[in-house]
Amino acid sequence: MPESIRSSTPRHPDAPFSNPGWQLWPGLLLASLLLILAGGGLGALFWQAELPRVAVLWENRYLRNVLSFTLWQATLSVALSLLLALPVARALARQPCFPGRSLLLRLMELSLVVPTIVAVSGVVGVYGRQGWLTTLVNDWAPALSWNLYGINGIVLTHVFFNAPLAARILLQTLENVPQPQWRIASQLGLSSGWVWRALEWPALRPVLPGIAALIFTLCFTSFAIIMTLGGGPAATTLEVAIYQSLRFDFDFGRAALLATVQLLICGSVWWLASRRGMTHALVPGRQVAEQVPRKDGSGLRGLWDRLLLLTFTLFLIAPLAAVALRGLPGLVSTLTQSGSGGRLWDATLLSLAIAIPAGASSVLAALLVLASNGSTQKGIPGQISATAAYLPLMVPPLVLGTGLFLLLRPQLGVTSEGLILVGLINSIMALPFVLQMLRGPLRGLDIASIHQADQLGILGWYRWRWLHWPRMRRPFALAMAYATGLSLGDFGVIALFGSPEEPTIPVLLYQQLGSYQMAAAAGTGLWLITVLLAVFALFNLLGRPPATAHLREPEHA
Amino acid sequence: MPARLLALLLACVLPVATLADKRPTLNVYTHPSFASEWGPGPAVKTAFEAHCNCTLNYVVLDSGGDILQRLRLEGEHSKADVVLGLDTGTMEAARQTGLLASHDIPLQGLALPVDWSDDLFVPYDWGYFAFVYDTEQLPQPPASFEDLLAAPEDLKIIIQDPRTSTPGLGLLLWMRHIYGDQAAEKWAQLNKRILATTKSWSDGYFSLFMNGEAPMILSYSTSPAYHMAIDKTDRYQAAAFREGHYLQVEVAARVRSSGQPELGRTFLQFILTRDFQRHIPLKNVMYPVIELGEELPEVFSRLIKPTETRYFEPATVAEHRRAWLDEWLDAMTR
Repeated sequence: MPESIRSSTPRHPDAPFSNPGWQLWPGLLLASLLLILAGGGLGALFWQAELPRVAVLWENRYLRNVLSFTLWQATLSVALSLLLALPVARALARQPCFPGRSLLLRLMELSLVVPTIVAVSGVVGVYGRQGWLTTLVNDWAPALSWNLYGINGIVLTHVFFNAPLAARILLQTLENVPQPQWRIASQLGLSSGWVWRALEWPALRPVLPGIAALIFTLCFTSFAIIMTLGGGPAATTLEVAIYQSLRFDFDFGRAALLATVQLLICGSVWWLASRRGMTHALVPGRQVAEQVPRKDGSGLRGLWDRLLLLTFTLFLIAPLAAVALRGLPGLVSTLTQSGSGGRLWDATLLSLAIAIPAGASSVLAALLVLASNGSTQKGIPGQISATAAYLPLMVPPLVLGTGLFLLLRPQLGVTSEGLILVGLINSIMALPFVLQMLRGPLRGLDIASIHQADQLGILGWYRWRWLHWPRMRRPFALAMAYATGLSLGDFGVIALFGSPEEPTIPVLLYQQLGSYQMAAAAGTGLWLITVLLAVFALFNLLGRPPATAHLREPEHA
Repeated sequence: MPARLLALLLACVLPVATLADKRPTLNVYTHPSFASEWGPGPAVKTAFEAHCNCTLNYVVLDSGGDILQRLRLEGEHSKADVVLGLDTGTMEAARQTGLLASHDIPLQGLALPVDWSDDLFVPYDWGYFAFVYDTEQLPQPPASFEDLLAAPEDLKIIIQDPRTSTPGLGLLLWMRHIYGDQAAEKWAQLNKRILATTKSWSDGYFSLFMNGEAPMILSYSTSPAYHMAIDKTDRYQAAAFREGHYLQVEVAARVRSSGQPELGRTFLQFILTRDFQRHIPLKNVMYPVIELGEELPEVFSRLIKPTETRYFEPATVAEHRRAWLDEWLDAMTR
C-alpha cells in the first residue's frame, strides 16, 4: 500500500486500513525504533567510555591499513559480484526452459544463507590447497599457481555469497518487465544488444545501486571469511578491529569510534544509492499470462547462455557438493544413532520455531517500512524510514548487543525469554534483504491501475488484497524464504544472548566443533543445508499462483 | 506493530521466570565446550546434584572472553554464582573487575606443572599449547621453533589470531617467553610459514586442518588424546618442541554478588574431587588438576611430555598484553 491516496478521492470509511495514517505511522514508528536501537547501542558505549581521540584513525598505521583494506576488498567484491550477476540474470531471463533452471534458482537462494563456516569449508574443499579444482589446475596448468589464501579467497567467497543474491534480484526485476514489451522486442527481432539498451538496462538500472550498496555493506562488515581465508592480520576489516576493542581490550571508546566510522561509510553508500533512484518505481506493467518467446535467446547466443549458466551452476554446486560429501558419513551415523538423531530433530524444531516467526515479522516490518516510504516520498520521514531499515547491516551486532546490554543491564534475562529477543533481532537483521526483494514489485504497479483503483475506491486492505497481492505473491514467498533462511543459519545473535540449553542447529554445530566432533559437525552442516533447501523449496511452492485454467505458468522463479 | 513492541518490551522487562523448584539454583557461567552434550558439563551436573540438594544451571556464553565480558557488563547485578572457563590469559582482567570473591580453599598438592596459590581462582584443568600435525602429510615434524622457522618453504601452518582466540594468544605468549624482545623478529620469520590466521580454533581445525590444507595447526598437546581414544586414529599427533611448551590453566571462581556464597564454595571444592576431574581428560581433552591414577585414560601416557614449561604470571600477561599484541600486529603487517 505505498501509493499516496489522492485528495480528490472519495473516502470509503468501510475499507479496513484505508486511512492514510496506516500507511505512514506504523512504518515510521518501526524505523524510529530501529534508529533508537542503533543510536542507543552506540550511544551507550560512548557514554560508558571516555571519548577516544579521533586522530587515532589516521595516525595509527594499523587502523589506516585496516580501513583501506576493508574498502578495497569490499569494492572489488561488489564489482566482481555484479559483473557475474548481470550476465547470469540476463541469461536466465532469456532461457526460461533451461534444464535444471529451478534447481539453479534454489541454489542461488541458498548461497547467501549458508552459515559462513560451512560455506568456507566447502570453498576450501574445492579451491583450497588440497581442493579438487586446485589439484586439477595444478595438473593441467601449473603455471597458474593458484593460491586461495589472501585477497583471492576473500573475493571468491564473497562472490560465492553475493553474486547469486544479486542475480536473483536482477532476474526478478527482469521478469517484472511487462510481457507486451518483450513481445514487441521479439516481433522487431531485436538483437540482444538492443534488448539490453531498450528493455533490460532501463529495468535494471533502478535496482542496481541498491544491490551494490547491499553487497558493499555485507562485504565491508565481513568477519570470519576474512580471517579464515585472508592469510593473516594484514587482511583485517573494521569489524575485526571493533571485535578486538570490545572483546579483548574492553576499550568501549575505540569500539564506538570504529563503529561510527563503519556506520558513516556504509551509511553514505546507502545514501548515494538511494539518491541514484533506488526508490524509483520500476517500469510499470500489468501481467499478461502468455509467455513471449525470446528470439534473442536462440542460436549462438543461446549456446553461450547455456554454457554460462552451466558454469555458474557448477560454481555454486561445487562447494556445496564438497560439504555434502564431507558431511554424509557424519549425518548418517548421527541419524542412525537413537540419541543423537533425536537431538538433531529437536534442534531443527527449535530452529524453525525461531526462524519462521522471525521471517514473518521481517516481511511484515518490510511492508510497513515500504508503505511509509511510499506515502511520504521525499519528506524527511520517508528518508528516515528508507535508511533506518539498513542500519542492522551497518552496526556490528556485538556493538548493538553490548550497548543494549549496558542500557538494559539489570533486566535482561539469559533464559528462554532470550529466544524471543533472538527471533526479533533476527527479523531486524533480515530486514535489509527483504526490503530489496519487495521494493521493486510493490512499486511496480502502473499509474493507470492506481488511478482506476482510486476512482473505484479500492483502498486499504482491498487494494492490498486485489491489486498488490496477486503480483506480490511470488516476491513475498521469496522474501519470506530469505528471512527465514537467514534466521535459521544465524549463529551470531543467538551466541550473543547466551545460548539456551536446547541448541538450535547452528548452535549444535558450534558445540560439536568445540568438542572435537568434526565428523558430526560436518553432518550437522549438511543437515542445515538440507533444511535450508527444503525451506526455499517450500516457500517457492507456496509462492506459485493458484492454478487457473487459462494461466499457463512458465518455469518461473 | 504495537504487538511487536509489546513483545519486545515483555522480553526485556519480564523478570526471569523463577523455577517452581524449591531447591536453590547455582548459576554457573561457562562456555560451550564445557557445557555441551559432549563436554564434561552434563556429567558434572549429575554428580554435583547427587550431593548438593540443589540445581546446577549452566549459562552458556560463547567463550572465556565472553564470560568475562558478560560479568563486566552485569557488574553487581550479575546472576552468576560461579564463573567457570576463564584461563590464565583472562584471569587477571577478571580479578581487576573486583567482582570475584576469594575461595578460602587450600590448594596444596595439585597436579599442576606450576605452583598454584591463587586466592580467587580454583584451577579445573590445564594443558600445553602445541602444534598438532598430520602424520600422513608430515612424517617428520619440526622438533623446535628454530626448526619450524627454518623449515622448507612448502611447510605451512595454521594458527589462530591472538586478538580473538585463546590458543592464538597462547602462541603469542609462548614466542614471547622463548624469544623475549626478539619475538617480533621471529614472528616476521614465522609469517612465511603461516597459511591462515583464523578467528577461532574451530574455524581452523574444521575448515582448514581437517580438509588437509596444512599439515600443522596450533592446538593443544592433549588434542591427539581425543583422536586416539575416541576417533581411534593415531594419525594426528602433537610435535614436541625443544624450547618447551606454553601452559594454559583453566579456572573457576565465585562471584562476589552471589546470593549463595556457601553453595558456590561447595562447588569450587567439588571441582577438585575425582567426581569432577574424571570427566576432564576425554570430555574436555585436557589434563586433570589432581592425580587420577588408574582412572587417567591410557592414551594420556602416549602424549608428548614437554621438557620445559613456559609460563607468564597472569599479572605479567595483563600488564603487557596490549603492547605485545601491537608488536605482533606490527611485525605481521610490515
